Amino acid sequence: MYYYIFEPAKTSYERSYIERIRDVAREVGIVSEMTQASPARSPEELAAMGIVKQYSTIVAVGDDSHINRVISQLMNLKPDFHYAVGIISTDSQSMLFEKWGFKKPEQACETLKFRKLSRFDLGLVEPNFYFLTSAKIECKKPTRVTLEVDHWRADAIIDRIEVSNNLYILVERFIKEPSLGKTAFNWLFGKSNLRADRSIFKAKIIRAVSDENLPIVVDKIVVGHTPCHIYRKPNALNIITKRDNISLEEDNQERNRNEYKEQK
Amino acid sequence: MKQQEVGTIVGSSVHLTGTIKDSSDITIFGSIEGEILSDQRVIIEESAHVKGPINANEVVISGQVAGTISAKSRLELNPTGTIKGNVDTSELLIHAGAVFIGECSMPDKRAEGEKGEEFFETEEEGLKEKSTEAKKEQETEPSDLIFGRKDEEKDEDSDEERESEEIKAKEEESEKRKK
Repeated sequence: MYYYIFEPAKTSYERSYIERIRDVAREVGIVSEMTQASPARSPEELAAMGIVKQYSTIVAVGDDSHINRVISQLMNLKPDFHYAVGIISTDSQSMLFEKWGFKKPEQACETLKFRKLSRFDLGLVEPNFYFLTSAKIECKKPTRVTLEVDHWRADAIIDRIEVSNNLYILVERFIKEPSLGKTAFNWLFGKSNLRADRSIFKAKIIRAVSDENLPIVVDKIVVGHTPCHIYRKPNALNIITKRDNISLEEDNQERNRNEYKEQK
Repeated sequence: MKQQEVGTIVGSSVHLTGTIKDSSDITIFGSIEGEILSDQRVIIEESAHVKGPINANEVVISGQVAGTISAKSRLELNPTGTIKGNVDTSELLIHAGAVFIGECSMPDKRAEGEKGEEFFETEEEGLKEKSTEAKKEQETEPSDLIFGRKDEEKDEDSDEERESEEIKAKEEESEKRKK
């Protein structure tokens, strides 16, 4: 049966949204136990308790950081066990909201009840943090970083590196506009004078090495420092996903996002 | 998080060593020392420097490349592009201003259908073949003419014979009359 791990509500809207999810889930009959993270009980501890109690469907309700912490704990404790993980994202600005954001709690509970499972890749930051979103390496000033990937090695001066769960690597360097004319033009029209030089790579394993120890951040949590390995775990987790729609999925996502914002 | 196909892009601030392999497009703005392999398209931009072989379905070069290039379907060399190395492709397009130092080989596309035109691995071989063909033509041309002349001569001979026969016949008739 279903074991819920809620994130503590930050706003009054979130509180009422979570309350409605609780009520609807009880009505639909997809509840065994509901827990809420707090300073006394972290999401990791609650996830561990769910495993001890042998729940096979664990639902994380909250923002990206909360969801990643629950997933990471599940993967660390029983990586080979095929859980069904339910996700309800409550942050409309987050990455996971696109796939697991619901404007109404009824929709969220219906999706959980229908239980359409899909397998998703996870990223793993050494030694033991799994993520479904992306890991970032950000520097205050341009820093030389070496990326050692599969069959090649790249040296670059970077401002930011973002590694997604399926190990797409985005390397960014922000360069000031060299031309004075363009700078003036941009200043007049309120445009940025920084030009982003972007690189995109794909990999299975990355090792990031830098002169300074740079923090690796996943959803505002520092999970490691360079030098460090980041791995891709293909098809690592079963996640309950929305049922397919006949209409365009992107339109629906945009509509959902707008309606959620309006309600907020 | 999105699991869609995105090609590889090497930015201008990146120096890469090793083999890059991708099933989709590869675009290069920076510098690379090593092999580039793609099932689709490789684009070498103006700011790019590549030292090593390139193997792809289609290659577009605006930067500098030192190494062999194998483009299955098409190779385009833009005005700012430089190639130092051999090229193997079935379709080659070089814009004015581009630099190409090396040899080009192309597969014989029409060999199966027609035997009209021949493709040579190097320019020298092609020139040699052309010169031998020209010699052969020169040798064959006079014989054709001779045949032509001979035919004309034959015609002329036959006329003369007729004339002489006519004269002989006239002479015989005149002798008979005298008798």
